[in-house]
Amino acid sequence: MSNLKTVGQSVLRQDSWDKVTGKALFANDFSMKGELHIKLVFAGRPHARIISIDTTKALEQPGVVAIFTGKDVPHNLYGLIKADQPVLCEDKVRFTGDQVCAVVAETIAQAEKAAKLVEIDYQDLPVITDPQSATKPGAELVHENKPNNIAHKVQLRRGDVQSAFAEAEIIIEREYHTPMQEHAYLEPEAGVGYIDEEGRVTVRTAGQSTHDDQRQIAQALGLPLDQIRVIYGAIGGAFGGREDISVQIVLALAAWKLQRPVKLAWSREESISGHGKRHAITLRHKWGARKDGTLIAAQVEAISDAGAYLSTSGDVIDNFRFSAIGPYQIPNVKVDAAAIFTNNVPGGAFRGFGSPQTAFAAELQIEHLAEELGIDPTALRLKNCLVEHALLPTQSEIPGVVSLPLLLETLAEKVDNHQADDLEAAGKTRSSSKHKKRGTGIAIGLKNSGFSFGFPEGSDAKVILHGDAEIERAELYTAAADVGQGVHSALAQIAAEVLGIPISKIELVTSDTAVIGDSGPASASRLTIFAGYAVQQAAEQALENFKAENRPAVGGGRWDAPPTEKPDPETGACFNSLSYAYGAQAVEVEVDTETGEIKILKITAVHDPGKAINPQQVIGQIQGSLVQAQGWALTENFIIEEGYVKSDKLSTYLIPTVMDVAIETESILVERPDTFGPFGVRGIGEIAFVCFAPAIISAVHDATGVWFDHLPLLPEQVAAALHAGSKQ
Amino acid sequence: MTKRSINLKINGKEYDLESKPNNTLLNLLRDELGLTGSKDGCQEGECGTCTVLLDGQPVNSCLTLAAQCDGREVVTIEGIAKNGKLHPVQQAFVETGAVQCGYCTPGMILSSVALLETNLTPSDAEIRTALAGNLCRCTGYNKIIEAVEQAAQVLQDE
Repeated sequence: MSNLKTVGQSVLRQDSWDKVTGKALFANDFSMKGELHIKLVFAGRPHARIISIDTTKALEQPGVVAIFTGKDVPHNLYGLIKADQPVLCEDKVRFTGDQVCAVVAETIAQAEKAAKLVEIDYQDLPVITDPQSATKPGAELVHENKPNNIAHKVQLRRGDVQSAFAEAEIIIEREYHTPMQEHAYLEPEAGVGYIDEEGRVTVRTAGQSTHDDQRQIAQALGLPLDQIRVIYGAIGGAFGGREDISVQIVLALAAWKLQRPVKLAWSREESISGHGKRHAITLRHKWGARKDGTLIAAQVEAISDAGAYLSTSGDVIDNFRFSAIGPYQIPNVKVDAAAIFTNNVPGGAFRGFGSPQTAFAAELQIEHLAEELGIDPTALRLKNCLVEHALLPTQSEIPGVVSLPLLLETLAEKVDNHQADDLEAAGKTRSSSKHKKRGTGIAIGLKNSGFSFGFPEGSDAKVILHGDAEIERAELYTAAADVGQGVHSALAQIAAEVLGIPISKIELVTSDTAVIGDSGPASASRLTIFAGYAVQQAAEQALENFKAENRPAVGGGRWDAPPTEKPDPETGACFNSLSYAYGAQAVEVEVDTETGEIKILKITAVHDPGKAINPQQVIGQIQGSLVQAQGWALTENFIIEEGYVKSDKLSTYLIPTVMDVAIETESILVERPDTFGPFGVRGIGEIAFVCFAPAIISAVHDATGVWFDHLPLLPEQVAAALHAGSKQ
Repeated sequence: MTKRSINLKINGKEYDLESKPNNTLLNLLRDELGLTGSKDGCQEGECGTCTVLLDGQPVNSCLTLAAQCDGREVVTIEGIAKNGKLHPVQQAFVETGAVQCGYCTPGMILSSVALLETNLTPSDAEIRTALAGNLCRCTGYNKIIEAVEQAAQVLQDE
């Protein structure tokens, strides 16, 4: 491993030159000659029957070419996992962002004007906004075929929690609430649809999986897969929010029906109201332990807001089977989790995929237990955390190199040193002024990589080598979506390493279903591992063929991962995942006890990327995750009232600015190559998000003595809680 | 709507254009001149992805009317590399890993260039103030601050 030449180097990203000069073409930067423009008519109301749609007046407007409704869509249901969402609603709308008509005109101004003249007669229905009451008998059904509005339920049973609770010397029982979160990628959804030179219905857009988009378009239009082509250009962020279809099917429909290029771009408001959110989840935890801190039982009940359509809501709570109790060993576990349909914006994939919510509750349970027992929280974590060969709640052994205790010890040493330095430097009170109080909190976490739970996992890749005696250039074909995380460079580094050539000789051909096989989506911290294995295999085969004098020398095809297992429906028992990433983080905050404002002063994030293929980019993932998690914890207040999104602008939904970011962020990479993953790599895209919010809550408690059980910690709420606390 | 004629310089080149009074500079650049390096992220001056330099000052081009630019000089991301050589700020963004998805990058670079035009030794607080109007959702800002510091050093040494 020490002889590596390209892997492990902070190679500069190949896409960055085009991005710093303005040459990179994002979805909305690409135009075609003679293109028409689409304006969508959204429902704008959370729950209603459609009585009639009258497009007469709109069609008479100058420049209007066509108006499409649900009747024009051959198979008018789509969905990433299950087709339950109309492309264009015909009889009912279930959230404000449902799409009803697509108005196509010569100019965008004409399309926008005509869209206002489409007359839709609605009969409003009772609006379901609270997943807790949505399951009660008699509640209005969001989907008629889903009794009690239950979208998906999972359970896990390990050991005997009742007996263990009876034995327990201490019980910690608490409820936690985590909020929706908007992805707020800076590029709103957009794309162009056209018929390509071979007659294929083509969509050039930004997403997380060209092939998932292709499959869903083909299914909705009733066309063979090879008649649909999906291409991605530069992608302006994703974080899970582009896993679901947004503009893709409508673009394909209009291009196909009209045989002309069409363009569609969502406004920021349409983007925020239209795509899925991180799930709001209520978690009730009951943990039992011995006086020495040994955890013996955990019971978790969780209700997740699935919103109006299934999206990935089922899969997010499927992951609860191993993540509900955080990164701890507990011999008796009972988990019941449900995702419930409401008329809110659908819950969908967002960096961490349920793990930030489960970590939030589990890490605070550990803190409360430590406080009650008077045990140091780091020691309590070390006593109970996952170690090698430990059993997960799914009753399978955790695979690979489990570096969690090492990361926690590394962190603890750092934090001790920091505090010693601080004390020495300042001679020091722990507050910078009378009403500003400082505190430190820590948290740990784990995140699985790859689809898990028996879902087939793997990737395609292809390498073509040119040259005579030596390799002059290598073409690398991958559909792995570079959503900003830098996966293209990482894959190029893996290919260069295997081929023994400088990375400058790698030519990437990316994200076009017409010429590249399926890599699976940019999700679940999976691409560097799974697309990485496919690239490694392709490069090895191509190199063999090159040595066998084949010109050009080609290698590649499908790489299938070893299987995982479907869970037992009663107990949840299974071998669920192939690979895990771990993290341990500390944060120092300053709380203004008068205003309730919380300032992040210093972050120490210790992570194990297995092998950092590109350390600079790994640290970029950690730093970006931390600030996104800071937003979730402190400023991002997604307001939805009676199904209407009130925070649909970047001026009302506040993501962190550069002013909010910690003065000092130290990212420490502790590399322990895993037994699975090319070069021992682990997926690093999500884990740094997972630990951070509970660390902030603990730091605020350390500073003020007050515990919070919800997010975000808005200043007015913090101030109110502190004032109430001081009166007690 | 009656169009009015405007004369302006964009990236060193003179333009005589007819523009509607309500046309924004961003629409003029993107839709009429094909300069798509300036991005359209929010249309309300919050995200800063449309930042350009107007007479050397960073402005949100989505909130600037094209007509306001009559007789003035605009520099976009397409106009700051000289003779095929990246501006030191661009080079620093590449080298420090300050670019992830890249959608905020043009605006970030132009705000940074404007800062360094007048201040070659910016403090951390001055860098943050200069970039306060530019949102980034990928990087956590750390490497962007690093890039500006590196570019400042390079420019000082020039």
